[in-house]
Amino acid sequence: MAFDMNFGWTSTIGEVVLGATNADGGTRRRSYRIGGGTTLPFMEDRAGSPSPLIALEICDYLPFWPPIVTNYCGDLVNNVGEWAKAADGTYGADLIRLYLTSTRQRNFSDIASLGKVVEDVLAASSLPLIIEGSNEPKIDSEVFQKCGEVAQGERLLLGTAEAGKYRSIAAAALAYNHSIIAQSPIDINLAKQLNILLKEIGVQRDHIVIDPYTGALGYGFEYSYSAMERIRFSALKGDTDLAMPMVCSAIDSLTIKEVREAEPAVQDEMAIQWEFYTGIAAATAGAEIICVRHPGTIPLLRKAFTDMKKPGTAAEVR
Amino acid sequence: MRTVTFLPSYRKIDVERGTTVLDAAQRAGLSMNVVCGGLGKCGKCIVYIQSGRVDFDRQKYGRFFTEAELQKGACLACETTIQGDLHVVVPESTLIQEQKILVEGLDQEIDFRPSVKKYYVQLQPPSLADPSPDLSRLLWGIQKSGGPVAEKMYVPLEVLREMPGILRHSDWNVTATIGLVPGGYRVIDLQENDTSKRVYGAAVDLGSTTVVVYLWDLVTGKVVCVASNYNKQISCGEDILARVNFARKNGLVKLQALAAESINQALTTASNTAGIDREDIYEVVVAGNTVMTHMLLGIDPAYMIAEPYVPVVRRALSIAASRLGIACNPNGGVFAFPAVSDFIGGDIIADILACGMGEREEISLLVDIGTNFEVVLGNKEWMFSCAGAAGPALEGGEVLFGMRANPGAIEKIAIDPVTLDPKYSTINGIRPRGICGSGLIDLLAELLIACVIDRTGRINMEINNPRIRRNAHFPEYVIAWAKETDIGKDIVITENDIKNLIMSKASVHAACLSLMKEAGVTHNEISTIYFAGAFGNYLDKKNATIIGLIPEIAIDQIINIGNGAVAGANIALINRRARKTLDDIAYKIAYIELNAEKSFMDEYTGSTFLPHTDLTLFPGVQKLLESCRTRRE
Amino acid sequence: MALKALDIYKLLPKKNCKECGDPTCLTFAMKLAGGKADVELCPYLSDEAKSVLGASTRPPIRLIRVGMGERFFKVGEETVLYRHEKTFYHPPGIVFRVSDTQAPAEIAAVTRRVRDETFTRVGTDLRFSGIAIENTSGSAKTFAKAVATVEQEQAHLPPVLIAKDPAAHAAALVHCGSYRPLLHAATGENFKEMCALAKKYGCPLVIRAATPDGLARMVKDCTAEGVQDLVLDPAPENLGAFLTRSTQIRQLAITRLVPELGYPVYLDATATGQQDAAVALGIVKYASVIVTDPLSPGATKASLTLRQNIYTDPQKPIQMNPGLYRVGTPDKDAPVLMTVNFSLTFFTLQGYLESTRIPCFMLIVDTEGLSVLTAVAAGKLSEMLVRDSIKKFGVEDEVTHRKLIIPGYASPLSGRIEDATGWKVLVGPRDAAEIGEFLHEEWKK
Repeated sequence: MAFDMNFGWTSTIGEVVLGATNADGGTRRRSYRIGGGTTLPFMEDRAGSPSPLIALEICDYLPFWPPIVTNYCGDLVNNVGEWAKAADGTYGADLIRLYLTSTRQRNFSDIASLGKVVEDVLAASSLPLIIEGSNEPKIDSEVFQKCGEVAQGERLLLGTAEAGKYRSIAAAALAYNHSIIAQSPIDINLAKQLNILLKEIGVQRDHIVIDPYTGALGYGFEYSYSAMERIRFSALKGDTDLAMPMVCSAIDSLTIKEVREAEPAVQDEMAIQWEFYTGIAAATAGAEIICVRHPGTIPLLRKAFTDMKKPGTAAEVR
Repeated sequence: MRTVTFLPSYRKIDVERGTTVLDAAQRAGLSMNVVCGGLGKCGKCIVYIQSGRVDFDRQKYGRFFTEAELQKGACLACETTIQGDLHVVVPESTLIQEQKILVEGLDQEIDFRPSVKKYYVQLQPPSLADPSPDLSRLLWGIQKSGGPVAEKMYVPLEVLREMPGILRHSDWNVTATIGLVPGGYRVIDLQENDTSKRVYGAAVDLGSTTVVVYLWDLVTGKVVCVASNYNKQISCGEDILARVNFARKNGLVKLQALAAESINQALTTASNTAGIDREDIYEVVVAGNTVMTHMLLGIDPAYMIAEPYVPVVRRALSIAASRLGIACNPNGGVFAFPAVSDFIGGDIIADILACGMGEREEISLLVDIGTNFEVVLGNKEWMFSCAGAAGPALEGGEVLFGMRANPGAIEKIAIDPVTLDPKYSTINGIRPRGICGSGLIDLLAELLIACVIDRTGRINMEINNPRIRRNAHFPEYVIAWAKETDIGKDIVITENDIKNLIMSKASVHAACLSLMKEAGVTHNEISTIYFAGAFGNYLDKKNATIIGLIPEIAIDQIINIGNGAVAGANIALINRRARKTLDDIAYKIAYIELNAEKSFMDEYTGSTFLPHTDLTLFPGVQKLLESCRTRRE
Repeated sequence: MALKALDIYKLLPKKNCKECGDPTCLTFAMKLAGGKADVELCPYLSDEAKSVLGASTRPPIRLIRVGMGERFFKVGEETVLYRHEKTFYHPPGIVFRVSDTQAPAEIAAVTRRVRDETFTRVGTDLRFSGIAIENTSGSAKTFAKAVATVEQEQAHLPPVLIAKDPAAHAAALVHCGSYRPLLHAATGENFKEMCALAKKYGCPLVIRAATPDGLARMVKDCTAEGVQDLVLDPAPENLGAFLTRSTQIRQLAITRLVPELGYPVYLDATATGQQDAAVALGIVKYASVIVTDPLSPGATKASLTLRQNIYTDPQKPIQMNPGLYRVGTPDKDAPVLMTVNFSLTFFTLQGYLESTRIPCFMLIVDTEGLSVLTAVAAGKLSEMLVRDSIKKFGVEDEVTHRKLIIPGYASPLSGRIEDATGWKVLVGPRDAAEIGEFLHEEWKK
């Protein structure tokens, strides 16, 4: 019996490049090419297909961040540059995802300070960078312009475009050649719609990463899981409007009851396992960037992903 | 006496020897084609003598026949006298062709075969030599005048009671009204003297908002008047649900009476205008939604609007008008269309009858839009149906400047893609007061083509144009400046309005897709889309396709049937055969509960995009939009 | 793949005889397509049609039952590769492993843990499924003793017996043979003896081979020996091997390309050296019996939650109990937000409300788990329901104002709710993420 592991797929996931090295006009020590898959995740038989990337999420304004992380990391979180450096070195992340949480303060207007934050992070770590801008339509445009401009040439991944607000972020991405995270609320149709909208204002497919929105494990994760599976499935079946890599970020993982109310002695372990189980499941569903907030999750995920990429030898066992 | 049997109908009649075959045939109720009036000149009344003895001059009339016809025993009925018992074959071509009638809103000719007919009979008074009872005398007389066979006619007590008096008072010249009822015929009415030219019938669309009546002359096959008025039940609740609740609180009797009164008022208006007597209306055919029909019949609809949503009756019903309080001839009948489910009612069965989709091999899609919408997909073999709430947006509700299709409503709009200035027309041509459903559909399509909105309906605020601005809550587009309007303020459409419209159109389209999926039918396999309901004939088919209200098929294959309920009721009124198919249609339709349908939400979110998330379903629209975008850039 | 109603209809006699209990052949076809009726109900179906329909309605993966008593579990009878296509029906049994070389006290402690440990989420008690006893010692006697130790706890947990030697199984089955244990494993060498034992005790049997080919051959061998209740162990040596083989098996079984593979899959999570990752992968990628060493507190909750999530019917949302929920400690002036009892809606809104730090009430009404949008469209969310819920949950005693915030998608009902309840209705945003801003701007007014 010959078994075809290609399930009759006809299409390929598009590729997106994150980060630019010197050679490409940036200052990153490396860049990643994600996507390119031709079948279900981890079912590739071609050698060297990429493993999911692990991004550590950090922020520039702590009150909006889970205390479990700030307690674990200690003082360094007070300096976003130090935090980025640790993410790159100590914690071993592939990517850094910087949330400009300072913009979420009421009536925030100090756009210039954001430029400084981005510059600090770029200087502190030479990993490719994801930047999450503001949630406020009134300052969106300026925020994204600022980030885009300061990091010109670095091939950022900028977040987050939604159906209700995509023009300002797209403008910044187009102007400075960055890519975009396109987020939709756990629905394959809405994900596709946003991609079409972006396409129609000129954002190329190879500059879009889909974020189908990840509910925390136990709090809607199953919907996200299926949305990711369906997106991957449709893309492989030939739907080019969905054939982009996906990012998974279960941002509520560390604030849900099970983690928040865990015994202090096991709280970190609870947080890590919650992110870990989520990350493993999301990767099998097709996510190519797994974002975590607890540094302890990173080595576990990395070890597992490495093993998941190994093809099984098909020797008969006794 | 000689017995003549007419074939293929096997009608028998006993006649005196020497009677012409034509005479016998007419007495047997066969309408023969006699252009010359039975003078042997036209040669149209050809019959074939199968057996028996006749007198017929073949030499004289041979010119009308071929050799082959003569071989088969052809003669002219008017010139053939009966000598012995006969078997006569009457070919189809010899019978009078039925009148064809064009029913409004349809390009379809309907055979005129009303189920109520009057017979004027002049009877011999009884005598000691001929002592047969009044009733037999009358029925026999009717049969002899071409009416139904005597044994098949039923006479209700009300008519019996009046019969002896009327017969004698009129000196035995009476007009009997015969109606077709399940299992036979019914003598509905007996009148003195010849009133046979005065038979009327009414086709009624009993809507929850309005009642429409078409009054027909059932002798000439012509509409004599159309009237409409509001459904008086509105006093008990604006929408159907409210009325069902009213019925629950012992209000059913009142609702029944109001439904009847609403019909009566329209009947009165129509008959007064046409100058006829309401007593001459013998039949009222009613197509209404399921709840309305139940209420008119005085059946409690409460059980039907809760799970598992089963109606009390699923077949057509004939009821004496007097029992429902319908003010036509007191012995007249009311025919109520059957219903399938809580949502698929007589009005939808009427749509199906009107568009004829249940008679064809090809697959059709019927979409009836009001506050609720109903969709039927199928052909002569099978039909799937479903229904849902479209929300009132498509009727102008939930939209800031939305309005019903009343005077002053903007009903058509085109937008200049460069200046973004609209060109619009209003109902009655007066200054605009708002926008009605057809105008909203145009607007959505035009805004999309002009790239003012994106495919999710969001207004592009980066466009620099005074018509595009932001109000307190939402971005908006100005359709008419205050000075052009009749209301003294700018008429706008807001982003929120557009979202409501998209949600409404998405419900309708998702329902279409759910049925198509259930049946495994793609849009390429749909031969025709029929539109019925609120939009009447004003809906722009192209724009309806551009926004993805309905699946994309060739524009000329989209047909507006307008008020399908009334069209169907009209057909059922004037064609009794059509009426017989109704139960079949109702029976054939499988109803799909969308809420139980797991794929519905998926189809819905897929449809909340202009025209649809899956652009391959709309190749033509996609091409058009791409060229518009390119032109803009 | 499943047939459409219309395809089925074409195979039916179209007599509309009603003998199946349905009014028409078409409605019967719809039920058949939805798996809600049995082909046999139609007395006029040709054998040919029956075989076409039968094949499309019979589950491609065999149902296997492990254990007796109230903790038994069933696995298999799955019909899809992706849960969104329909649903995954039978959650995998997660079984804790003990070794017969462990001290009896340790073995007993693990047994008691599986017996007693319960984690309650959204109204459901989540537990581990059973105990696997492994014959590490190599001695049949020691193995039997360990099994006896487990049985002494009277936990009545479904047992899994892991031993290479049929003699060890034979010795252990003396103690637990009547509890329908799962036997691991039959291989090329021992399958005759293992089959004999499985037959003797009526147990399900795991067969072990590293390739689909090998497994399919073994299935043929074992069924020839008369054992029907089989479970497949693809013997993965790492996570990648498990993913590949398990996906292959499921694919070939579901498509009926290799009907011999139509059995549930067994996963030894410990064999990959990455136990937690293996448990997570087993849950999402088709394992039906997962053997693992006792899990840490974090992995315990995460794994049970993941299993619950993945095996939730995607069409049947988890429902919240209707009622009045508090966010923070709301006072008599606190806002009241009404929404539906679809759990995702609830948790999403709750999350955003918590982050606004405005204490408030959430009035959760019973829409049978439908989302706001669907509930409005389906008429499940009505002004009567809102009125009754306000009464039932005593909202009027909790606050002094009479203002109700309803979800943006329920705006069509706003007028009717005002009429029915006498409360003033404020239409909130459609997107829960905007609720903070809404409360700040609208409520404060």
